[in-house]
Amino acid sequence: MGWINSLYRSSVGKKSIMAASGMLLSLFLFTHLLGNSVSFMGRDAFNAYAEKLHSMGNLIYIFEIGLLTLFLIHIITGIILYLENLGARPARYSVNTSEGGRSWGSRTMPYTGAIIFVFIIVHLMNFHFTDKSVPVADMVRQLLGRPVLGLFYIFSLLAVVLHLSHGVWSLFQSMGFNHEKFNGLLLKGALVFSILVGLGFILIPVLALFSRSFLL
Amino acid sequence: MSEIRLTLKIWRQQGPDAPGRLETYESGPISTDMSFLEMLDVLNERLTLEGKEPVAFDHDCREGICGMCGAVVNGQPHGPEKETTLCQLHMRHFNNGDTLVIEPFRARAFRIEKDLVVDRSGLDKMITAGGFVSVNTGGAPDANAIPIPQKNAEEAMDAAACIGCGACVAACPNASAMLFVAAKVSHLSLLPQGHPERARRALDMVKEMDELGFGNCSNERECEAACPKGISIRNIARLNREFLKAAIFSNED
Amino acid sequence: MILDAKIPDGPLAEKWDRHRFQCKLVNPANKRKFDIIVVGAGLAGASASASLAELGYNVKTFCLQDSPRRGHSIAAQGGINAAKNYQNDGDSTFRLFYDTIKGGDFRAREANVYRLAQVSNNIIDQCVAQGVPFAREYGGQLANRSFGGAQVSRTFYARGQTGQQLLLGAYSALMRQVKKGKVEMLTRREMLDLVVIDGQTRGIVTRNMLSGAIETHAAHAVVLATGGYGNVYFLSTNAMASNVTAAWRAYKRGAYFANPCFVQIHPTCIPVHGTYQSKLTLMSESLRNDGRVWVPKNPGDKRPPAEIPENERDYYLENKYPSFGNLVPRDVASRNAKEQCDQGKGVGSTGLAVYLDFSEAIGRDGAPVINQKYGNLFHMYEKITAANPMHEPMMIFPAVHYTMGGLWVDYNLMSTIPGLFVLGEANFSDHGANRLGASALMQGLADGYFVIPYTIGNYLATISSGTQSTEHPAFKQTAAEAAAKISKLLAVKGKKTVDEIHRELGLLMWDSCGMARNAEGLRQALDKIPAVREEFWQNVTIPGSGHELNQSLERAGRVADFLEFAELMVVDALSRKESCGCHLREESQTEENEAKRNDTDYSHVSVWEFTGQDKSPEFHKEPLVFENVEPSQRSYK
Repeated sequence: MGWINSLYRSSVGKKSIMAASGMLLSLFLFTHLLGNSVSFMGRDAFNAYAEKLHSMGNLIYIFEIGLLTLFLIHIITGIILYLENLGARPARYSVNTSEGGRSWGSRTMPYTGAIIFVFIIVHLMNFHFTDKSVPVADMVRQLLGRPVLGLFYIFSLLAVVLHLSHGVWSLFQSMGFNHEKFNGLLLKGALVFSILVGLGFILIPVLALFSRSFLL
Repeated sequence: MSEIRLTLKIWRQQGPDAPGRLETYESGPISTDMSFLEMLDVLNERLTLEGKEPVAFDHDCREGICGMCGAVVNGQPHGPEKETTLCQLHMRHFNNGDTLVIEPFRARAFRIEKDLVVDRSGLDKMITAGGFVSVNTGGAPDANAIPIPQKNAEEAMDAAACIGCGACVAACPNASAMLFVAAKVSHLSLLPQGHPERARRALDMVKEMDELGFGNCSNERECEAACPKGISIRNIARLNREFLKAAIFSNED
Repeated sequence: MILDAKIPDGPLAEKWDRHRFQCKLVNPANKRKFDIIVVGAGLAGASASASLAELGYNVKTFCLQDSPRRGHSIAAQGGINAAKNYQNDGDSTFRLFYDTIKGGDFRAREANVYRLAQVSNNIIDQCVAQGVPFAREYGGQLANRSFGGAQVSRTFYARGQTGQQLLLGAYSALMRQVKKGKVEMLTRREMLDLVVIDGQTRGIVTRNMLSGAIETHAAHAVVLATGGYGNVYFLSTNAMASNVTAAWRAYKRGAYFANPCFVQIHPTCIPVHGTYQSKLTLMSESLRNDGRVWVPKNPGDKRPPAEIPENERDYYLENKYPSFGNLVPRDVASRNAKEQCDQGKGVGSTGLAVYLDFSEAIGRDGAPVINQKYGNLFHMYEKITAANPMHEPMMIFPAVHYTMGGLWVDYNLMSTIPGLFVLGEANFSDHGANRLGASALMQGLADGYFVIPYTIGNYLATISSGTQSTEHPAFKQTAAEAAAKISKLLAVKGKKTVDEIHRELGLLMWDSCGMARNAEGLRQALDKIPAVREEFWQNVTIPGSGHELNQSLERAGRVADFLEFAELMVVDALSRKESCGCHLREESQTEENEAKRNDTDYSHVSVWEFTGQDKSPEFHKEPLVFENVEPSQRSYK
């Protein structure tokens, strides 16, 4: 297994690991969004969906451990890369301008990453490590209906959009996919994906905050 | 032809371990037909006559191909013009009264030798690690023995056009040398002559790059935008591909 | 001393083969006991270093840039010739040989030039094997173009960056040997002197350009590949750091200098536009394949080109030379451009330029075709001048480009000091009085890849393989002299910058020892040069110290040598009372004002020996014998 070690020690290897974990996390995010969308179908459907998930037993634990591992890999590797990159230019420039390559997404990756990390902890505290006997629809309404938490959710989910706007395109590049024919599609597709996913998620706190009938 | 006057803030540093700082100079009248380096020549002539030390900067061919010149002008390596080296950047692209901050290429792997002169030997070390085809002089087969599709040759040439100036490293927010390594790995992996060693080359060059203290690529695309030869980050994707193939599937260690 | 070029016997086509057989060999196990110093890492230096290291010698390679990938070979745009005859258009080794020797106006050695043509094909094979991305046809075969007046398509190219690609190929071979530990690469080192002990080359003295340290290096042989001396003119297409110092130091240590006045002036450069200008930029000669050269018929016509009607334009090359037209050799094109400007027909703000017009080619082939061929050159032109040649004619003017003269070498590329070999532009051997387009790259690589690996063995086999050391007093002595010269430069503390004096020398040389020369002008130059030199040593100012990176000091050292060397150039030019190759001697013209060569009196190499500071150099003559070609007066009518 020496090759995994040397892969992880190399810069390109670490990037590919960021890319692979990022891709799986994006897929998770997408399925999470599909699940959440059930909430738009009404209170009963949403509660039933949550019940169904909870009834999966050990399967859910295995999935959660896998997810946790993915997050840890993504976060730890990200922190290592961030620190290494910081060290690669100890003396900074007096004038900082862009050549025009960077985007808002790429520029803020470590910071949006950090926001998302805090967000996930808050999110888990509120929805995972909590009393599961309360129907999920009520939890969502009660928690996200609070202005501070609801707005924090919206803010964090905007960070997710920004993170994905660079991350989704970037993961293809890091894994070696870059083709003249498909680059335009890929760039636009990645942007559309991140905005759609973000909007889908954001809709929930927005409805919880502003809609009287949401999940009732 | 017209004349402009500029305020120049230039990084002055006596040696690698000496502290450095930005010094301010008035350029005096500068013809807009001058190149950026000629503008520095004019300043240096004046400093010399005033008994001061002129600004040290690397340069040689002054036609944009040797890759020796380069400084960061207002935060941009080789200045604001696209696909232009500093020696080919002409003063007509600046306005009267502009302030220009001129700094050396900065990276942990590029030690500052003096003023704007930096040590870019790391680039040579990465080539030494594997940026070649192992063929001795003599005994090469006829040049036309292996046909190479024109498109491949052109694409290889796109990558081989790298002049090794280091602007990609200077522009990268992470001081990564990926575009430089990618250009060489791409050039040789696109040609049949480079195939026998492609796995070894990708592994060795990336390893050397990491050991020299260059940063990691985070796909910011600044290198591509700064490259005076317009080398595309498509080459970085190709390097990633070559590297991952080599690291995961080849028998090389 | 009688100059023995050591040309092998036998028929021309067999000389090189015979010689290779007769060359003594160094036993493979013994090769690692020999140390070789290579100075310069352009095409010749890099290819020699790599090839010698591959054979097993210990090589130390020096360059003054920060990396061996920066030698000025990198700036060659057009291409490299080879007698492959891939186009089936009648090319052959003999034709390339003939074209080269004729192009050189019959002032080169037959045997050397034939060898060059012979190995030209191996160079292309070698470079392709290294991964040089030459231009290709759709079918995957190598593409060729006709270049610089050649009647066959034999030029291989990689866009407009052939020199770069070939150099990067040689550089990669060199770095491969660095990895193997067979080459020690020393960058930012400038050779200041040669160490000769008992008449044999033993090493060099260098200055570490970062620390200022004077260092000595010993070896069994020294290979100089230090390029040409075009910067004696201040403005040239050479890189800023190109210099004569290494060659000049070798000359002063006993190596003879051959044909120093043979300088090529390239016709297609971007015109000068101001006194601050630091260098001239060459536009590839391939532009003349499609561009038409013209000036207004009426002197002083200052209208913009588009407003000058067709019948008021003088396409002087096409009119004067109907069969070659715009593709006449470089010297003819250059001289005619200067002649037109001297008649007041020059264009542009300085009146020192002629038009190179692509409108007809654009009309004929369409803009996309022309753009594809020359787009990058046009782009480069536009960057410098802010004018686009797709819309208005280019302006061009001749500029100093290449020096055919150099240190004298025999067939083995060894100078008159045993153990000192000279390759590439630094030697004089292959181009006679004029170099054909796309032949410089060929010669640099021929010398480095395919000549020196054989001929150096022939020398090393005759000397002891004992360890060389820098302990010998001669090393200390030479190093002390180099250090003293630096101290002397720094001590002047005058009022003029190095560039000011260099510019003065350059103008003087351009006016008196340029494309056209005459005895009177040359004699005046001989009077003036010592005065400029005196001015330099009395009044130059160099800030900073010798113990640090000091670019003014570096330049001063080079200019000090140019100031001595210029005199030798003029002496040589004065002694050659014929027009030949690149230069017109005004006293030697035909009735039609064309150059008139004088084979009776000047069919020789002029070789100069240093006899002491402030003493006249001693003249030696190496007669040129033509057994295989009949020297003909060139005619491009």
